[in-house]
Amino acid sequence: MHAIHKTEDRTSVETLAPSLIKVGAILAVLGLGAAAFVGLRGEDGGKHFWFSYLHNLTFVLTISLGALFFVILQHLTRAGWSAALRRIAEFMTGNLWILAIAFLPILLQVLSHKTTIYIWLDEELAQNDHLIHAKHGYLNASFFAARCVFYFVVWTGLARFYGKRSLAQDHNGDLKHTVTMQKFSPISMLLFASTLTFAAFDILMSLDPHWYSTMFGVYIFAGTVLSFLAACILMTRYVQSHGALTKTVTVEHYHDLGKLQFGFVFFWSYIAFSQFMLYWYANIPEETIWYKHRMEGGWTNWSWALLFGHFAIPFIGLISRHAKRRLPILSFWAAYLLVMHWVDLYWLIMPNLDPHHAPFGLVDVACCVGMVGLWLAGFGVASKGKNLLAVRDPRLNESLAFQNF
Amino acid sequence: MAHKHSNESTPRQKTYGVLAEFDNVSSLMAAAKVVRDAGYTKWDAHTPFPVHGLDDAMGVKPTKLPWVIFGAGLTGLSFALGLQWWTNAHDYQFLISGKPMFSLPANVPVIFELTVLFSAFTAFFGCLAFNKLPELFHPLFGSARFRKATDDRFFISVEAADPQFDVVKTSGMLKSLHSTNVETVMVDDSPEAARIPKGIVLGTAVLASLTLIPLALIARAREVTTTKPRVHIIPDDMDQQYKFKAQTAYSFFADGRASRVPPEGTVAVEDLEPGTPFQTGKQGETFLAQLPPEVVMSDALMARGQERYDVYCAPCHGLSGYGDGLVAKRADRLREGTWVPPSSLHSDNVRAQAIGQLFNSISFGVRNMPAYGPLIPEQDRWAIVTYVKALQLSQYAPKDAVPAEDLPALQ
Repeated sequence: MHAIHKTEDRTSVETLAPSLIKVGAILAVLGLGAAAFVGLRGEDGGKHFWFSYLHNLTFVLTISLGALFFVILQHLTRAGWSAALRRIAEFMTGNLWILAIAFLPILLQVLSHKTTIYIWLDEELAQNDHLIHAKHGYLNASFFAARCVFYFVVWTGLARFYGKRSLAQDHNGDLKHTVTMQKFSPISMLLFASTLTFAAFDILMSLDPHWYSTMFGVYIFAGTVLSFLAACILMTRYVQSHGALTKTVTVEHYHDLGKLQFGFVFFWSYIAFSQFMLYWYANIPEETIWYKHRMEGGWTNWSWALLFGHFAIPFIGLISRHAKRRLPILSFWAAYLLVMHWVDLYWLIMPNLDPHHAPFGLVDVACCVGMVGLWLAGFGVASKGKNLLAVRDPRLNESLAFQNF
Repeated sequence: MAHKHSNESTPRQKTYGVLAEFDNVSSLMAAAKVVRDAGYTKWDAHTPFPVHGLDDAMGVKPTKLPWVIFGAGLTGLSFALGLQWWTNAHDYQFLISGKPMFSLPANVPVIFELTVLFSAFTAFFGCLAFNKLPELFHPLFGSARFRKATDDRFFISVEAADPQFDVVKTSGMLKSLHSTNVETVMVDDSPEAARIPKGIVLGTAVLASLTLIPLALIARAREVTTTKPRVHIIPDDMDQQYKFKAQTAYSFFADGRASRVPPEGTVAVEDLEPGTPFQTGKQGETFLAQLPPEVVMSDALMARGQERYDVYCAPCHGLSGYGDGLVAKRADRLREGTWVPPSSLHSDNVRAQAIGQLFNSISFGVRNMPAYGPLIPEQDRWAIVTYVKALQLSQYAPKDAVPAEDLPALQ
């Protein structure tokens, strides 16, 4: 019931964005540079490097896409509780254009028919392999490239659509911005859902062109939202530790983020298990081979790690109301879940590089550091000179007064 | 209505507590904090709509219900695991799609469902229980002004059972907290009021005894026999089938029988010509000692024989022919006293049988073994008997039949 006056709290910190850009850029250059230096000179023709590049790019991309989902969702549901948080999510979507540029090297590989990552690019395979031949109409270089361009255009377009209007509203509080954003949220959500689903099929599922899963898009979606929520908790804490938003974002908001976090831990587990159980039960070799690779040899432990580390342990850890309202505990689980999301994507992608043992090495660490740095720098660029709070959002008062049970 | 004390024939009354009325939320909240800080424990606030922050203002501690629900969820999980283990892997082992008898991935859906079910039921009924609901009567209903609690007034009630309660002190404190009205609420304390009305007791007793009637009828039906036809609860059930059974009368046909006589030239299955040696394994009365001319010995025939043996014969006779097939093993385990073990194909009398006799046993059955002739074409039956002979040879081969290089391993 205590409406906090907006001007009491700091809503921007001038030093935050520049330091994020600086640190991020250094990490990006050092990390990706080291990875390329080690990886591209290896005996495998750089395969490990490119897989790691794809893996870590996907990791940070899913965080930003999760943020985009969140922004669209809040407008779609006319949510009030999240208004104090939404600007942070909008900044996360603001680095999608940088990630699009980071995707270009992969796109160039596809267009030049290099089979380092995607084996279906091989012309001979496309002729002789029955399955790949059948999928050739979809899995060919030009259509694939066109689709990827489309995805990134849609994502950056949606990010800009919502970000621009939200920022414009800071100046005049014009309600028409909110009305427009709400009005286009249904079609935005449909576009988001379809592009995410097909991007998952194209960029990740086609790594093994003999395998398919109709649930794959939902699986990636679950991890996407999960990683965004974790990143949002951590980023908001970071901002608050620098003195901004200390009174506007309260334990009540964190509680709700924690509830969503818990819910999506379970949702991810539900989807992951459903995908697994259906294939296990039907026992069709064409489908089970994918799981066989991941349940045997060097990958067994990674599967156990996902079952316990991505489901059982965080489920118990986040179930209690008190865990969600104590910020150190919540932040721990957020960081933990980001790591588990990385492990999840590693488990999805890397067995295509080596089905028998996990090729974990310096390249993976370096690429991770590099991509996270790139993402942070992008966040800094998007947030530079802008308010961390949507100060004239019509639902801000509701958000500031928000109380959980 | 608050009853006034009277010295005459009004029923005995006891003070339930003190009720204070407020007409806005902030005075309620402030008052709640004062009552909380004064150390009262048996008191409550009553509002027409949920008031945020009232829990804290009243000093209400977080509920233990989540822990109870967690325990219930774990119970549901264990119950589901135990249920599926017992029914599928222990009591009646049920092989489904070749999956393990106790198969965790297949068990997960039921585990998930029962965990959620137990948790949800516990949440709902636990919530009612912790709130001591259903509560059929509350002394505050005796106050006419209290009706406004569901309208536009806010109340604080402090019970006389509270250790700090004193009618004068407590009323005085509440009056000083900007309340618009403070009253003492009385509740009927007479023994007559505490008694459950006779009508309710009688009615419950009658209903309880009525529920015994169906149970008694069921118990009776289990013990008693009757010649009357079964009661058909569902009409047009398949108990009455509009068909004619064999050997019944039917006036429609001239001979009055429902069954028709087979037409001229019908041959019964048992009356079929015995067939050629290829079909029976016999030449006259003697069993064939060699394969009939229609069957040519070859590696392919032997391989086919092995494959068909594994399909049709191995379940009872076992893969190596000793009579230890899966069906035989299970029948042994069940010990129902009705099973005759299948012959070991390596026993002396079976080894002494001619190949035609083996063929004949397969085709027409022998003792408890049914006829497999209708299932297996003749060519395959001959292939099977050649394989059986090979199996028998494998267990009783003479030393000179063993290839030279394998001899050392056997010595």
